[in-house]
Amino acid sequence: MSRLDNWVDYWSDLTRAEQGVTGSIALFAAVLLVGLVTGGLNPTYFLFLVGLAGMYALMSLGLNSQWGFSGLINFSVAAFFGIGAYGAALMTSDSAPILGGFDPILGLVVALSLAAVMAVLIGVPTLRLRADYLAIASLGLAEVVRLLVLNERQWTNGSGGVRGIPRFFDGWPVLSTFPQAMPGLEIVIILGSPIELGTPFYQMLLNISLVAIFVGASYLVLRRAHRSPWGRVLRTIRSDEDLARALGKNTYSFKMQSFVLGSVIMALAGVFYAHLNLFVSPGDLNPITTFYVWVAVILGGSGSNRGALFGGIVVVTIREGTRFLNEFAWIPFDTAPLRLLMIGVLIVLVMKFRPQGILPPQRELIWPDAIEGSETEPERHTNQQPGGDTNE
Amino acid sequence: MSEIDTTADTQTAEQSTAEEATTEQSDEPEIVLEVQDLQKSFGGLVATDHATFEVERGTITGLIGPNGAGKSTIFNLISGFYESDGGSVIVNGTGVTNMEPYEVAEQGLIRTFQTPRKLEGMTVREAMLIGPRNQPGESFLTLFTNPDAVNEAESANLADAQRILEEFEIDHLATQPATDISGGQMKLVELARAMLAEPEILLLDEPVAGVNPTLRKTLAEQIRRLNDQGTTFLLIEHDMEFVMSLADPVVVLNQGSVLMEGTPDEIQTDDRVISAYLGGGT
Repeated sequence: MSRLDNWVDYWSDLTRAEQGVTGSIALFAAVLLVGLVTGGLNPTYFLFLVGLAGMYALMSLGLNSQWGFSGLINFSVAAFFGIGAYGAALMTSDSAPILGGFDPILGLVVALSLAAVMAVLIGVPTLRLRADYLAIASLGLAEVVRLLVLNERQWTNGSGGVRGIPRFFDGWPVLSTFPQAMPGLEIVIILGSPIELGTPFYQMLLNISLVAIFVGASYLVLRRAHRSPWGRVLRTIRSDEDLARALGKNTYSFKMQSFVLGSVIMALAGVFYAHLNLFVSPGDLNPITTFYVWVAVILGGSGSNRGALFGGIVVVTIREGTRFLNEFAWIPFDTAPLRLLMIGVLIVLVMKFRPQGILPPQRELIWPDAIEGSETEPERHTNQQPGGDTNE
Repeated sequence: MSEIDTTADTQTAEQSTAEEATTEQSDEPEIVLEVQDLQKSFGGLVATDHATFEVERGTITGLIGPNGAGKSTIFNLISGFYESDGGSVIVNGTGVTNMEPYEVAEQGLIRTFQTPRKLEGMTVREAMLIGPRNQPGESFLTLFTNPDAVNEAESANLADAQRILEEFEIDHLATQPATDISGGQMKLVELARAMLAEPEILLLDEPVAGVNPTLRKTLAEQIRRLNDQGTTFLLIEHDMEFVMSLADPVVVLNQGSVLMEGTPDEIQTDDRVISAYLGGGT
């Protein structure tokens, strides 16, 4: 009874946007569950999609900590993703033209450091200038990185890509043999369409736990940073950099930190991708990734970590979900190629009807322990209507 | 300085800084801000032409002049937003000429802006909390290595913000969105926030422009109160009544250089000032 009351309290304390998002996630999860149970959705493939969603969520979180926090316009999401992917691939792959054969952990460290160094290099000349200069420079960087990867064959193997990347947990005790050691299962819920859980499934499960760790860690770091005085300075810079400067904040340094942090998180997505796909090629650095991630952040609500997570998942759902639409015979045309159009329409609709995004920051961002110590409760922004009370 | 004693029961940090200001006055330079021979031109336009003046500790110094006299340019030069072509700026005995704005602020010089700056997505008290300088939580690493220090400082700052909002009698706005309050209230919040930075000298750029008469009076009272507690002010204002009732001395600027300096009475009766305002030039 009391637990139910707690839930009711919790629910009515959510804002309308939060209730809506929670509801649609629940609905979507139910649809997926039906798909899994009836055998319409292969569990291994489903986990692969979850991995992709996690990867996009990471990139959105990274971009959100640049654009959403500080207002930095970064059009080289794909480049930092690529630096992460190639960094990890070249460090760990047996067949890499340079380096190769190192432990994936070392590959992770090197890839992230490389991304950080690259972020500093691009930040030093541009972050003192107006915001648009960073946008232009980053647009250039994205192409430069892609063309370097494509043409410097002696380092990157050019258009052939890098093969032979080990899985992240290869060489770990227990985990490296976990997929083989697990018994194959065949679950029959509906006759005629059994659900098979074999080695590939467990392999994918490991991948998912890796991306879950990456996303979870990034989210926790960003959440703490966002609510801190550090995040507050960034949000001030986004609204009015001169004000922050007049109050004694070294805005150049803050912008640099925000830019490097975001770039490192994007590279983290690349590292995961390298160990998921086990093959990277210059095609992975296509600029379209950058724009998918921008759509995810704007859709989710700039400045909101949860929004970025949500937006990343929505974009992957649309991108991958449209593949299934062709199975519905009553749709008289080929729908899969329309996914770009659908994403375009979606972003237009969001901008028209909810320009702040679906799940913008809902509450005051003050260090949580400090606000608990004060006599007043954390407040919602009053422009966010609570969903529970309708008697106003 | 006897005013300080009468407000002695209004507690804590603000008070102690005020007392420090009183007791340590002998060690600190009497001149908080010294502008010497400052020059700035934009292309062919000379905006600041060898301007020299001083702001004494504990005063409310007014900076007036006709439109285009170069008042805002001087503010930007002093606070580091513009780079000067020559001359020097000294805050509290330290040369800050052509330093970055944050470095000037570190010396205790804080400024406000002519148009109130809107902070989207923040409540008033969040916007207030940007004020305090050198918060431990502004270091990314400290957030994870020493969250207790962050928490302690944040709690203290939150309490300070609440107290200052109460002193300004706008504590009812604390949890309002910072973008939803009136222009005059924004000016009050801006002044209140600047006080959280504990400035030695506060530069106010047209503090009552576009503010209704009632709030105008409140702002004047607040500025006087803060001045009594030890903050030095330099303010640009077009509203003569406001400046003349509040500021002493007043510096008159014309065509980028200092025309004269004196008490409000001297200024109001000076022929050169009158002709400058009527467009006669010098």
